[in-house]
Amino acid sequence: MKKKIVSLLLVAAMTVSMVACGGKGQQASNTEAGTEAAGTEAAQEEYKLDKITCVVNGTLTANVDCGQAEFEKQWEDAVGVDLVIKQLDHSSYNEQVGTLFVSGDYPDVMIMSADMYAQYAPTGILWDMTEAYENAEFQSRVTSKTTNESLKKDGRLYGFAPAYGNGCVTYVKTAWLEACGINADDIKTYDDYIDMLTKFTTMDPDGNGKNDTFGVIAAGFLGNEAPFINYLPEFWQDAYPAIYKEGDTWIDGFNTQATKDALVRLQEAYAAGLIDPTTLTNGTKDAREKWFSNDQSGSSGVFTYWAGSWYQTLTDNLSKNDVDDRITELAPIAEVGAYLDREAPVWVIIDDQDGDDSREQAIFDAFIETMLDGDTVQTLWVYGAEDVHWSTKAEEFTTNAGTEKEKTYTYEEGKFHLKQNPNDPNSLWKKNAIDPALLIAPLTNGYFSVEGLAAEGNAFFLENCKPAPESPASPTYTENAGTIYDAKIAVVTEVVTKGADVNKAMEELYVNVVGSIVDQCLTELNGN
Amino acid sequence: MKKQKQVITSTGVPVREKPLGLRIWNNRGYYLMFIPVLVFVLIMNYWPMLGIRYAFYDFKPVGTPKFIGLDHFVKMFGTAAFWTAFKNTLQLSVMKLLITTFTAVVVSVFLNEMGNLFVKKSLQTLIYLPHFMSWAVVGGIFYLLLDPTSTGMVNGMLRDIGFLGESDPGIYFLADSTLWRPIFYLINIWKETGWGTIIFLATLSGINPELYEAADIDGATRMQKIWYVTVPALTNTIVTVLILNLAKVMNMFESVFVLYNPAVYDVSDVISTYIYRQTFMNAMPNYGYSTAVGLFKALVGGVLVVICNYASKKTRGRGIV
Repeated sequence: MKKKIVSLLLVAAMTVSMVACGGKGQQASNTEAGTEAAGTEAAQEEYKLDKITCVVNGTLTANVDCGQAEFEKQWEDAVGVDLVIKQLDHSSYNEQVGTLFVSGDYPDVMIMSADMYAQYAPTGILWDMTEAYENAEFQSRVTSKTTNESLKKDGRLYGFAPAYGNGCVTYVKTAWLEACGINADDIKTYDDYIDMLTKFTTMDPDGNGKNDTFGVIAAGFLGNEAPFINYLPEFWQDAYPAIYKEGDTWIDGFNTQATKDALVRLQEAYAAGLIDPTTLTNGTKDAREKWFSNDQSGSSGVFTYWAGSWYQTLTDNLSKNDVDDRITELAPIAEVGAYLDREAPVWVIIDDQDGDDSREQAIFDAFIETMLDGDTVQTLWVYGAEDVHWSTKAEEFTTNAGTEKEKTYTYEEGKFHLKQNPNDPNSLWKKNAIDPALLIAPLTNGYFSVEGLAAEGNAFFLENCKPAPESPASPTYTENAGTIYDAKIAVVTEVVTKGADVNKAMEELYVNVVGSIVDQCLTELNGN
Repeated sequence: MKKQKQVITSTGVPVREKPLGLRIWNNRGYYLMFIPVLVFVLIMNYWPMLGIRYAFYDFKPVGTPKFIGLDHFVKMFGTAAFWTAFKNTLQLSVMKLLITTFTAVVVSVFLNEMGNLFVKKSLQTLIYLPHFMSWAVVGGIFYLLLDPTSTGMVNGMLRDIGFLGESDPGIYFLADSTLWRPIFYLINIWKETGWGTIIFLATLSGINPELYEAADIDGATRMQKIWYVTVPALTNTIVTVLILNLAKVMNMFESVFVLYNPAVYDVSDVISTYIYRQTFMNAMPNYGYSTAVGLFKALVGGVLVVICNYASKKTRGRGIV
């Protein structure tokens, strides 16, 4: 009998909960409809904004352990609005954003990758900021209008990029080039590139007496986010193994001869031992740490990674690990033509769907417009908090004190300079959320720190880049992007690491598995 | 007048059944103590179950969930990757269960035979320790040990003993479909055998010493005592452990997640990792599909529990639920 009572109680509780949930949802939608009606009738008044909730990934380098409180405080003092930052784990950002949205915990403003932006823009959840952007005060100072123009979907802008996307360039260890008697300027074609990798693999460039080095290392043969091929461009060359727009038509770039040729190139290089086999399983952190590791046995000579400030960072890490820190940037080989400038990450404003834009406009004014104000707030986003990450006060500090690398920095009053990294006093702070070298509108206060290798790397990339293809978005693609990616990865690993026939693998593991899904995506994208 | 129902007490005396309200009142202390447990179970175990309904909805981070009936299940059953994951889940779980149980029994018997208490206790502690390491750490350690480049210790040893030539490429154990499963089982044995011995050692300590004395008088050798006394005494526990763990075979995630990679999806991808990728590899996941796959996994798990319960009744005379 007791069991029956407990069972009845449980059933009753579940039933009541189900009904309660249904009721709540209905009530919410009714309220929403009511509010919308009221909103559309309401005059668009000046909105009094008192708080902005911002969701961001790891690109905000002023994190909670690294002066975020001071950044937040100085931003609030400058803008006059309370700022609440929710910084999510960088590697699981997509999943955490999805969880936030499902729980109804929408932020006011957040950062999105190009891929996320493409998927979310058509849903109506992102505020259409076209007019706000066009009327923004910073327009007169924008030097690269195309960055945000290319983000428009059907002529409307739902996200704002304060900087262009940046991309990857191929770095080569200069000491290894010298050890193998190679002149980097002579690496002009794929054959030259393979010849270099072969020498790095067979000529013991690290000089440890063992045949244990590799030509190149990367984080995966095929990346999981656009532009997918940027870590091994010399092998992918003209292939773009994703759905992309060619002229006015969306096409599937994976099941193409160009991709098959690229896979065969990867297969041959992998079989010849020119590619570090851990490339299959490496994350970006694994790959770069192995590349600049203190123990160079098993390392590689070539690593394609982000341009600009990463040129400096990679050099610093080699130096920190007591490895010859000279790096040569390799100009794109003839078959590559140009490195890909990825679609920029964007800041979006969440539309509360009340039919009244005054709140969203207020958020734009306070958050996005100030982000490129040329002065105080832009400096906060670019360099971080004053007297925490940078300063103009006279000071002197020493890094790596007591070591061979000891260096003393002396600055006079009024001179802008970056301070020691709060997390690593032996290195200088580099930037906050926006790379100063990539800004689409320069600072007007004269604070500019991009010099040395970062500036050189940035200039090199700009000379050698072209825009990456636009990311697709259609109902079927959104639904099946993971399945399509799984099928591509199956083909890539089967061909590259297991030596399978590329045509057979393409047919069995891609066309037969997701061919109809991809066709449906193309039909939707091309509006057929 | 309504005839009152009679109940038989534990002493076999028939008494009139008291009204429900009176029984509750008489046991109010127990009911009061039960309330927090009931509330906890309802909130933590039953409330989340309401999400099951989303298996029948198109449910994305944005927009109102839309009822789509069995569409997700149709898609799921028509997807080859799902069936691969389903098959792998059963194979990996059952094999892992059998192998780790077997090794735990063998190790328990050996430990039980050890005369030196210090060595026995030290060994027990040593083999328990891996259980307390998180799978993330275990994954990192074994990726390093099995690295195919010169930094991998196992490949280095294979070179040292001449199994691999100096110029031969290293073996990528965790990216080889034929080697991945044996490696996976070995890692599981290393991590879980020690913990698995606890219950068997407890059973062994309860064996009546007179059985061993009788065997000694009969002139049994050490191996004969193990085979004819120790092992039969463990049989009931082995069956119990197998049955109890069989019900959990569908719950396999971390151990696979930290060790698998795209090259071995065909032999390693399990339902939980498949759900993970379907949910979190999409910029905008459809939680409805993930829920449908999860619901199917739960149903299979439920069926296994019923089978185990039946098997338990048959072998032990009582069920597990």
